[in-house]
Amino acid sequence: MTAALALGCYAAAVGVVAPKALVRSAWPYRAPAVAVAVWQGLVLSFTIALALTTYHLVTPTWHLHNGMSGLLRFCGLTFDAPIPGTGPLGVPAVAVPASVALLPLARFGHELLRARRVRARHRGVLDMVGRHSARLRATVLDHDTPAAYCLPGRRPRIVVSAGALRLLSPAQLESVLEHERAHIAGRHHLALAATEAFARVFRWLPLAREARAQTALLLEMAADDRALRRHPRQALASALYTMAAGHAPGGGTGHAHGGALTASGPGAVVRLRRMLDARRRPHPALCGVVVTVAAGLPLLPPLLGCAPGMG
Amino acid sequence: MRRLGELEAEIMDRLWAWQRPTTVREIVDDINEHRPVAYTTVMTVASILYNKGWLLRAKEGRAWVYSPVRSREEYTAALMEDALGTSEDRSAALTHFVEQMGPEEVSALRKALRAAGRRTRA
Repeated sequence: MTAALALGCYAAAVGVVAPKALVRSAWPYRAPAVAVAVWQGLVLSFTIALALTTYHLVTPTWHLHNGMSGLLRFCGLTFDAPIPGTGPLGVPAVAVPASVALLPLARFGHELLRARRVRARHRGVLDMVGRHSARLRATVLDHDTPAAYCLPGRRPRIVVSAGALRLLSPAQLESVLEHERAHIAGRHHLALAATEAFARVFRWLPLAREARAQTALLLEMAADDRALRRHPRQALASALYTMAAGHAPGGGTGHAHGGALTASGPGAVVRLRRMLDARRRPHPALCGVVVTVAAGLPLLPPLLGCAPGMG
Repeated sequence: MRRLGELEAEIMDRLWAWQRPTTVREIVDDINEHRPVAYTTVMTVASILYNKGWLLRAKEGRAWVYSPVRSREEYTAALMEDALGTSEDRSAALTHFVEQMGPEEVSALRKALRAAGRRTRA
């Protein structure tokens, strides 16, 4: 029971305490890509911890001395090794934790397929009604509302509306397109699909809610950073403002888009301040350490689970 | 495959521009002013478009006449709705540059931009 208790406490810490601490800290916005890795690490670590907790709960105490080999078998490491004590209890001992681990994974696959279907449908219509611009390397949609977006995936598209072309200067437009290219090159849709899937499986969990919202915002920041490598701050920042004002009812072009505009989170304001604030990024060595920690997070639960079994 | 998509777009372009029921013959003649294309090819692609739900068709004499199901503007508006997240199925499939915003947020943005402008000038 010690192992189950330790793992349960760990899962609670990762699921509830860690996200609150991470949201409050300031460094993620200075190194958004690193922070995305940390969120993904927490998500994976929580899933493994929960799976192992259930494993230790369904395995009776006298099986604990088999903890290590059972665990290895569960991980598929010693597939042909003889497993001591595999009686009728062996089936739930593997099936229950396996289903806990496989549920988010299946949901991830489902999200990927769903998103791909939505994109394929969108792209089909887009290729028919849009006009491809070789100069911009983008598809232009003849619509007054200023907009720029991308369809990631295997046949990616970058889309700008005629309204955006009219409002933005060439320098602003180039920085916006670079931002969208960064989403595609960085395969940001995979990270989004992962947190989306996790949030749908564990809707009540603070980690799930925060990971989804923060990952979306952090990926925008990562794309901003990539655009800023080649383009001046002022261009991207003023483009963000111009596009946002153009969306708003009564602002900019005065074009209200179906009257269905609703206020969003403070994402754009945070991004704008961040773009203009020339604060230095954390040292690369520090980023390396944090990424290593993020990669190590999923290994913690197995260690926690094994420690009592080995003693 | 790419060729087929291009011809599909060429046919739709003409039907959207002309805004009247059109025979395959008229489309073929118009395309032939730029490049040669076989009547049967256009006929096949037109019926593909009909089957995909892009075109309506009706018998007029011995020939079919085709017309778009929806206008180009309607399709464009639907795409924008998809992309800007005003439609119900909001998905992470499309990531767009900036979220929808209310007037308060826009004015907060303007203030941040102005403050930064003052800082750089000072």
